[in-house]
Amino acid sequence: MAHPSQLGFQDAASPLMEELLHFHDHALMIVLLISVFVLYIIVTMITAKLTDKLILDSQEIEIIWTVLPAIVLIMIALPSLRILYLMDEINDPHLTIKAMGHQWYWSYEYTDYDDLGFDSYMIPTQDLAPGQFRLLEADHRMVIPMESPIRVLISAEDVLHSWAVPSLGVKVDAVPGRLNQTTFIVNRPGVFYGQCSEICGANHSFMPIVIEAVPLAHFENWTSLMMEDA
Amino acid sequence: MAGEEQENNNNKGFRLLGILDVQNTPCARDAILHGAGGSLAAGLLHFLATSRVKRSFDVGFAGFMLTTLGSWFYCRINNAKLRVQQRIIQSGIKNKIVYEGTVLDPTNKPGAETPSGPS
Repeated sequence: MAHPSQLGFQDAASPLMEELLHFHDHALMIVLLISVFVLYIIVTMITAKLTDKLILDSQEIEIIWTVLPAIVLIMIALPSLRILYLMDEINDPHLTIKAMGHQWYWSYEYTDYDDLGFDSYMIPTQDLAPGQFRLLEADHRMVIPMESPIRVLISAEDVLHSWAVPSLGVKVDAVPGRLNQTTFIVNRPGVFYGQCSEICGANHSFMPIVIEAVPLAHFENWTSLMMEDA
Repeated sequence: MAGEEQENNNNKGFRLLGILDVQNTPCARDAILHGAGGSLAAGLLHFLATSRVKRSFDVGFAGFMLTTLGSWFYCRINNAKLRVQQRIIQSGIKNKIVYEGTVLDPTNKPGAETPSGPS
């Protein structure tokens, strides 16, 4: 989860998010250098004593300030397009989960297993145990096996919602009557938090997403327990 | 305790011009330091050669841009190659554990388990 007053991205938990962080660093370095350059030009122009009212054109500098920005844009676009196409690669998921948005909770259905489904409501602040996170904890977590490609089919039962988990680099709109798909792989075990990302009513801020990535053996134990309880 | 220390470290990340977190971005600190060094060297050498102050500042700035960019790309490319190698090694370790003791184990020597001939 994010720590207080965090400005940057959360640590990546999926290969795609790692690539996005890598690209973000690259883009920000270019942004920094352009900003420093503009600042230097401003200072130079303010402190210059020379003026020339008779300059009409200058082919050389116009070529430079056309070609250089084009090169910079290509340097940004090529990695960006690479990641864009990387996101759409087909990777044969091992597990499919349906995430349905409701007002104001998420429900998860593991249709690969018989009758495994549950609702995930936010734990109210007054019911939190010590160490739990306000507005982020849910009573039932979406448990998935780590290092396995997971397909999540996202839709909504009433109004627009959005299923987002920043540390996995996932944000997909939940549209009533439409099925959106995303796939991801979680690199490491842990608990990853997200929040509804499309305004959906009074409790839009109070329907978090909690993903718990566990080793496969633990996941199998969990599914057995859940099906017994059901 | 360790978590609090880590949070303190994260909070103290210094953002150059409020844009780039130099401490927590791989290669950023080295690139900026190399850029500063390159800028100083280029500007100073130009001034010593020409005694022109303003132009030396311009040359120093150009040196900063080029050195920073060059150091950044060199470091990031090496970083990317290391990450690829790390992933290959990780998947190799994982596969070794999965296939160990089976027919698919690459370390299995084909003649090791054949029974000895009649004495």
